[in-house]
Amino acid sequence: MKVTVFYIGSSLLAPLKSAEREINREYGLDLSIAAHNFGASLTEDEWIDVAQDLGGSDIVFVIHVMDGENAARLLTELKRHQARHRAVIVINCMPDLMRRTRMGKLDLARLLGVASSSEQISRKSVKTQNERSRAKGSLNVLRMVGSWVGTQAQAFRSKNGNNHTRYLKLADHLPGVLRFVPGAGALRDVKNYLSIFCYFLQPTPANVQAMILCALKNYVPDERLKPVHVPPPEKMPSVAIYHPDAPRMFESFEAYSKWYAQRARKTRAPRAVSPEQGGHIGPPLHPETTIGLLLMRPQVISKATKHYDHLIRSIEAEGLSVIPVLATLMDNREACEKYFLDQGPKSPTNFSLSLQAKNHPGRASDKLKLVGHGSRISQLVSLTGFSFVGGPAMNDSEAAAEFLTTLNRPYRSAISLDMQTIESWNTSRTGLNPVQAGMQIAIPEIDGATEPFVYGGLPANGVEPVALEDRCQRFARRLRRWNRLSTAPRASLKLALVLYCFPPNKGNIGTAADLDVFPSVWDTLVKLQAEGYVLDLPDSPEQLRELMLGGNSEKFGSTVNVVHRLKVDDYRRLCPYVDEVEKDWGSAPGRINTFAGDLLIHGVTLGNIFIGVQPSFGYEGDPMRLMMARSGTPHHGFMAFYAFMEKVFSADAVIHVGTHGAMEFMPGKQVGLSGECWPDRLIGELPNLYIYSVNNPSEGSIAKRRSYAELISYLTPPIENAGLYKDLATLKDLVMAYRQATADAERERLFDSIEICSRELNFNDAVL
Amino acid sequence: MTTSAERDRRVLDLHDRLLEIEQRLIPTGLHVFGRPSVGSERADMLRMVSSFDRPEANSRALPDLIAEGLGFGSLASNQRARAISEEELRQREQVAAILTTAMQTFMAGGVDAAATQLKDIASVNPEDSRPTFLLLDRISRELETNVEIEALLRALCGEYIQPGPGADIVQNPAILPTGRNTHAINPYAVPSEVAFAKAEVVAKRLLERYQSEHGRYPHAMALVLWGLDNIKTQGEGVAQALWLLGVRPVRDGLNRVTQVTAIPLAELKRPRVDVVMTVSGIFRDLFSPTVELLDKAVRLVAQLEEPAELNYVRRNVMEQIQSTSCDFDEAAIRVFSNAPGNYGTNVNFMVMDSQWESEETLGDLFVTRKCFAYGRDSRGRQIEGREARVAMDRALARVEATYQNIDTFEIGITDVDHYFEYLGGISKAVEKRARARPAIYLSDTLSRDAQIRTLEETVQLETRAKTLNPKWYEGMLKHGFRGVAEIENHVSNTFGWSATADAVDDWVYTEVAKTFLLDEEMLQRLSNLNPHSAHSLVNRLLEAHGRGYWDVDSNTVARLRDIISDLEDQLEGVA
Repeated sequence: MKVTVFYIGSSLLAPLKSAEREINREYGLDLSIAAHNFGASLTEDEWIDVAQDLGGSDIVFVIHVMDGENAARLLTELKRHQARHRAVIVINCMPDLMRRTRMGKLDLARLLGVASSSEQISRKSVKTQNERSRAKGSLNVLRMVGSWVGTQAQAFRSKNGNNHTRYLKLADHLPGVLRFVPGAGALRDVKNYLSIFCYFLQPTPANVQAMILCALKNYVPDERLKPVHVPPPEKMPSVAIYHPDAPRMFESFEAYSKWYAQRARKTRAPRAVSPEQGGHIGPPLHPETTIGLLLMRPQVISKATKHYDHLIRSIEAEGLSVIPVLATLMDNREACEKYFLDQGPKSPTNFSLSLQAKNHPGRASDKLKLVGHGSRISQLVSLTGFSFVGGPAMNDSEAAAEFLTTLNRPYRSAISLDMQTIESWNTSRTGLNPVQAGMQIAIPEIDGATEPFVYGGLPANGVEPVALEDRCQRFARRLRRWNRLSTAPRASLKLALVLYCFPPNKGNIGTAADLDVFPSVWDTLVKLQAEGYVLDLPDSPEQLRELMLGGNSEKFGSTVNVVHRLKVDDYRRLCPYVDEVEKDWGSAPGRINTFAGDLLIHGVTLGNIFIGVQPSFGYEGDPMRLMMARSGTPHHGFMAFYAFMEKVFSADAVIHVGTHGAMEFMPGKQVGLSGECWPDRLIGELPNLYIYSVNNPSEGSIAKRRSYAELISYLTPPIENAGLYKDLATLKDLVMAYRQATADAERERLFDSIEICSRELNFNDAVL
Repeated sequence: MTTSAERDRRVLDLHDRLLEIEQRLIPTGLHVFGRPSVGSERADMLRMVSSFDRPEANSRALPDLIAEGLGFGSLASNQRARAISEEELRQREQVAAILTTAMQTFMAGGVDAAATQLKDIASVNPEDSRPTFLLLDRISRELETNVEIEALLRALCGEYIQPGPGADIVQNPAILPTGRNTHAINPYAVPSEVAFAKAEVVAKRLLERYQSEHGRYPHAMALVLWGLDNIKTQGEGVAQALWLLGVRPVRDGLNRVTQVTAIPLAELKRPRVDVVMTVSGIFRDLFSPTVELLDKAVRLVAQLEEPAELNYVRRNVMEQIQSTSCDFDEAAIRVFSNAPGNYGTNVNFMVMDSQWESEETLGDLFVTRKCFAYGRDSRGRQIEGREARVAMDRALARVEATYQNIDTFEIGITDVDHYFEYLGGISKAVEKRARARPAIYLSDTLSRDAQIRTLEETVQLETRAKTLNPKWYEGMLKHGFRGVAEIENHVSNTFGWSATADAVDDWVYTEVAKTFLLDEEMLQRLSNLNPHSAHSLVNRLLEAHGRGYWDVDSNTVARLRDIISDLEDQLEGVA
């Protein structure tokens, strides 16, 4: 007996494998379950396997297949082998595939194609009025379920996607509806489909096993299946809080909060991270030190949570609390509202904040804090890999942004490799495959997501996702750094501003597309000072520029003032990648940005603010390096600059000023970086804000993805008509005079003048 | 002796070229982070905003409404501008004059006053014009304030920064307010239906332009594809490539573009052009599904059973398979980019740092950096940037024209060094491999009348509208130190077009020298504001002369050398 399952994601494989084992153990069915992850486009070799499995299968499940190319090919294959299949059960796929469902007499193609259910139920087959209305009801549910994905896509097209919450409710209501549908007669197959859908909605290991059994028992004529009992679906809450250490899930925040406090008292473990570093400053689940996490519901339900568990523990190891919440596939707002927003009347925290705001009416930080006053979390981390509102088939980013604005906390989206294996990602020089990059990076970005960190994924020969431990730790530390940045007194914070200078000569200091950098920085410093950041404000933008260009630059023969001489020994200690850099650039310190054996850091320090100039790629005067097809590592000076900011100056955040620098273009994977990638190593744990031109979303996106930057867009300069000037204006006058003139002689005379004038203006080539 | 009709045509042509310069939108200065724009600077931009239909704001282009109100019918905006008659020209001028009046009224008196006025002088129903004026009013009000610095401060306090689209303000007024977290787009949405429709016109004009100059269609073209314009236009550049190949994007049940289908030759009514696509590293990253789509399109076209003279892709692929006995996968490679995780051609670095001896080096460097193939082979396996230098050399050897789509006036071909590194770099590479300089074209799709221009025409237009224009350079010089650096960068980027494509006339350098260096007062200003950049500027002009791009009298060269030495004295004094 054979079942083939086509699916997407990482939650189903483990329960399927355990179902195979359990069913064989319990019933001795000699069952084999083949599973194919359709997350990415398949190669020809993989299609050969697919065809082989389809050719030998009694039952086929097709679940969540959304990729147009895979779907088209699968349709052909299904048709080719249809005689062999006892049933084909398609769930939540695109419309063409949905119509391939084959279960007894169920004709989903016809059902999805007609407007109302009445013609499906002839008077003969259904006896009473009561039964007919129930039948209609179940058919309507089936139609809704069957056209789910298509409807979602359409709703997005028509910008009218308000039905996502209905999906959530289905999980709760469907078993109740089904109880009244007869299991025999005309509605038998309808009932079977909906029952299977119920198991699928709650993919606990037991339900996945029951789903397989239900299909086998009803559609495979085999004596051994007669005694099989298919248990009713296990019911799981549609939204809840999950924690790896908790014995159960929590349906209310209060229950979770109580458990969390008890656990904290019990463990009493010394905090790994001090409050100064952004660790706990209050009781557990204090809103300022709590990270809200959105987990995929199917993963938690089917107990494929190793990757979540490790990330949660990594975050807690940084001294932060967590509220991990089961996200639903289609719309995360309900879960967020329920668990992350404090709905009650003003809490004491809010009150004190409002008082603060009154005392310092000028401070944006205090005023604006009030917007998100009801939030129980300091940052929101989505681990779903989908849009915040809309799920896999569509994205309602306007609704997402609106909700997240109310919550007013940074929104992060981290990635689990569900559509490719950890090994394929590791060896890939591009990183995420196109499907993952599109779905898990590009779409969450439209919701305002940042920090696209890869934290886990499927191992090549495993059945469930695991954590990438080094990535979890790095990500957790970045979250902790962000936490400190957002909560510490402004006077204690240190900021590093990075300017550019390209091509590298003094005249180009402050390079940035369309931006006058020094007045921009100076204006920003003024406001930072007013906010309470401690800094020595120069008298004017010009003075700031002179501080940078002058100073000791002559002594060092450098473009910019040298703020720090980093000893090579210190460089080796602070930068763990020196060995690799040396393979490319020779032994440290090298020749770029160095003086007497030290690495020079270019910039000035003004109190708690460092303003530095990013080193160049290092191509100057080195044509051989330019001619290489693959760029090398950053040079020692570049590495030293970033190591200085994070570890010597101890910045709490870096602000890159203007479009654009070189760091985010350093070699590494394209998207979904690893710890081997140079931008990832350079930015380290530093929160990264990037002042970026609004008209350059393309290079800006590279900064977001490869250096974890949050962009703050700036306006482009005023634009006006060029107008005409000098002799061009004269020429236009002559042309207008010619057009007005009526007398031939006059026109001839004017034409001669036009010819002379236009030749002088070098129009001679093309026109005259 | 010129006939009177011939004279009229020439004058109207010239008029058209002057108008093109006069009406070109240029940035007049730089932005300062956090500062709102000044009201008086907005009029021309708002006028441009009003010149497009905007279905999302339910608003129509004012020039069309005015022309209709005056009974002119359609403004013939899709007609080749240079073929218009005196009468049509007068109608256009009348429409433009009325629009000017209406915009002045709007700036002074607001929505209702302007709508009423248009009714009075051009019989435009206020119901039709109001949505447009309301949009202008909203933009105007949003520009009154600027919250960029506040957004930065809020981000530092751990608040949510709203996402926002990235574009020019004229293209997409929804970029306001700024101070948001700019995002790209869903790559599966590309190309949009609107983009595909617009691209048909551009591809047609591009081929017509080549045909008018060469008497036939180009057999093969090389296209540069960037993320920049394809994000902002939802894939017009991608759609142009598909049109040249003669294929149509197909959407799946989730409305995602994942397939292509061939447009029948009977419908296409022209041959399918072979297209070599060099995509930027950024495009490759942001549009990875689109890269596969483009590769798929080439493979599809190459396998169509069509006559060789109507399917240049198939012809070239078949020829190559026969002559080199390579397989189909090798012969059909057309999508190239950098090595994985690498970006840029480095041509710009080499030019800026004057590190090259022969121009050939620049073209070779381009190929070295960009010869990595992407797509999927016939076995469905992903090609993740395989080095394919021979394939690229062969593909470029057939190329007769190179092209890049430009969707914006904000980032022009001499504003940044990336245009010459790409379009210039590939043109130079073609020149050596095809043993002939290709025709080089650019489109200008952000105008009511999408235009195709040669590179030479575009360099001239940019020079006249920007570099030599007092409105532009005085706008820059308001920013003092940085303004001088901007002027120097423009000249260096212009020089990049000499180095890679020999597309700059002598007069351009002569006029630059006259405007900025031979004018004593201007030289003094530049030297005072930013002697470093003034020094670089003189150096670059001397390099242009030294490399043979600028034929100029020896007195001028001597004078420039004097200026250099004066500046060096000054720099040593101040340093």
